[in-house]
Amino acid sequence: MSSIVSTVVNRIEIQAQQKLKELLRACFVNLDEAARAPERRVAWCTSVGPCEILTALGFDVYFPENHGALLGARKLSQHLIPRAVGVGYCAESCSYMTSDIGATLAHASPLREVYGIDGPPKPDVLVYSTNQCREVQDWMSWYGRRDGAPVLGVCPPAHLGEVTRAHIEFVRGQLRHLIEELERRFGLRMDDRRLEEVVDRSSRASALWRQVLDTAQARPSPLTFFDGVIHMAPVILMRGSTAAIDYYVTLLAELEARVRDGVAAVPDERFRVYWEGMPIWPKLRELSTKFFDLATVVAASTYCNSWAFEEYDGGDPLLWMAKTSTEIFINRDEDTKEAFLEEMFRRFSIDGVIFHNARTCPNNTNSRFGMPQRIRERLGLPALVIDGDLSDARFFSAAQTLTNIEAFVEQLEEQAR
Amino acid sequence: MTGPLYLGIDVGSSATKCVVLAEDGTLLGHHVTPSGFDYGESADRALSCALFEAEAERDAIAYCVSTGYGRERIALADRRVTEITCHARGAREWYPGVRHIIDIGGQDTKVIRLSEEGKMADYRMNAKCAAGTGTFLESIALKLGITLAELDELALRSREKAVVNSYCTVFAGTEVIERIKEGQPPAEIAMGLFRSIATRVSEMMAVRNGAVGATGGVVAHCRAMVRALEEVMETEVLLPPLPQHAGAYGAALMAIESCRAHRS
Repeated sequence: MSSIVSTVVNRIEIQAQQKLKELLRACFVNLDEAARAPERRVAWCTSVGPCEILTALGFDVYFPENHGALLGARKLSQHLIPRAVGVGYCAESCSYMTSDIGATLAHASPLREVYGIDGPPKPDVLVYSTNQCREVQDWMSWYGRRDGAPVLGVCPPAHLGEVTRAHIEFVRGQLRHLIEELERRFGLRMDDRRLEEVVDRSSRASALWRQVLDTAQARPSPLTFFDGVIHMAPVILMRGSTAAIDYYVTLLAELEARVRDGVAAVPDERFRVYWEGMPIWPKLRELSTKFFDLATVVAASTYCNSWAFEEYDGGDPLLWMAKTSTEIFINRDEDTKEAFLEEMFRRFSIDGVIFHNARTCPNNTNSRFGMPQRIRERLGLPALVIDGDLSDARFFSAAQTLTNIEAFVEQLEEQAR
Repeated sequence: MTGPLYLGIDVGSSATKCVVLAEDGTLLGHHVTPSGFDYGESADRALSCALFEAEAERDAIAYCVSTGYGRERIALADRRVTEITCHARGAREWYPGVRHIIDIGGQDTKVIRLSEEGKMADYRMNAKCAAGTGTFLESIALKLGITLAELDELALRSREKAVVNSYCTVFAGTEVIERIKEGQPPAEIAMGLFRSIATRVSEMMAVRNGAVGATGGVVAHCRAMVRALEEVMETEVLLPPLPQHAGAYGAALMAIESCRAHRS
């Protein structure tokens, strides 16, 4: 996410971007300092993991998925993945995981070039939630074995239709146990009031992020999916901080002004497309340019909405954490996902849907069980499936994919006639 | 021929095709030539030969639409359209009632579904893989030391419904060697290769509603491909007059339409 600031074509620059660069640099420099200071502790956490607990206990939190995306965006993954394959990780398993492990084995990290720090901070503890996939557990475990750090996690029930009170209580119990384990292992004591404050800040940043994304309901849209994947960094990396809230207040004001003034992210916007699935980090520039040239805006996505949680209204913070982390899209069954998508298509006035079939991310790929066909038939909405990957550029054919996208827009043109 | 001419140039991965039409859609000339290293040069060659057949000069060209992977390289083009849309347009002209078009090219394969009004309703392209494309056949023919035409001729002698299970070009090559070792008749092995492509194509989209139209270089040159498609898809496969030129023909038809639209 962070590196994309410098790699994506952004024809009409969002002014807040400069502030974002400064925020991200401060975030990573702080993590580097934390890793060097004996009295401070660094926790690694998965992107929709229980980071609020870690922050409230005083850990500095690092999110390794960001590094996986960064390696992809910098087109480094394909050179690093073979290192991970060499130590037994399948080349078709999560390319965030394999490129990150490969980078560690090769002592190579773009964090040096981007933020001037040596690389990812060494973990004191690694915490995951399998609400997104099991790979994160294996990923954290590799570092746990290597660094001798404890690996702790939460395993919510998966592929849920209705999320029941029993599901949430089950996850809340795991979160309680996680707190107890962290307290015991590190001699800490959770301050409940502090946890409430962190959760409240997390929720406020998330609510603002949703409002930011919702500005794309305007026609013309003031931002695209390709802007979204840049500006979502604070809601992941700085969740629970006032910095994230302040950033989204600034960004939202700028985008609302764009809407008022009719400033289009894609001039002469003709069609509005939905992106379902992971970004293709190594090819964001090509894709962004292609859609721009086709006067087609990718107005909304499931991916960027993954961190738009429901608001915390006081009460038990663990209940909110359990509920929001269990209810996320990726953790739901096909029917629930389809209903969510249908609502998104309606809210954002979508003309067509692009499904990214990410080779190494089956869990965040929704084109493998007939969903595009059902959407075509039930909603009459054109749907295109493109093959690629989140980080490994070797699974992407530029000529085929760009032709596919161009033909898709020709199909939209023909249907609009 | 001196009237306004309408061109369609399809620069594919293997071959470049050119079609010249008169304003009323009459086919005046066409040509196909290998794409080679220089797309501009191959397009120029195809155009010169098609114009020669049309007994026409370049200054009579009113409008040109380019298509195919090399479409951006054609300086002469007034408009560039993807091969998916152009194949759909060309095949629709030849077969107004057909709802599905299968195009098997050198590098990619497309299945296109048309709506009742003839609009492109849906389409699929193969993934980043040679499976189900002309490259699959060319590669294995090369391995067997025969030409594609010989492979086709051999397959047409097949009497059984032999199958090569692998879609992957590399694994299919290995499977062919296994079959040879087992003593399976060459004709059955050859037909199995065409069936492998047909099976791959049949997976790309459920084909319903009657006959399908087939286009592209593979069906143009290999009758065994048409037979395999008919057997696997259990439907009639219609072959247009110029299957390999369907994209260029569609592009030329779109050139006429675009020119009219500009005038009005």
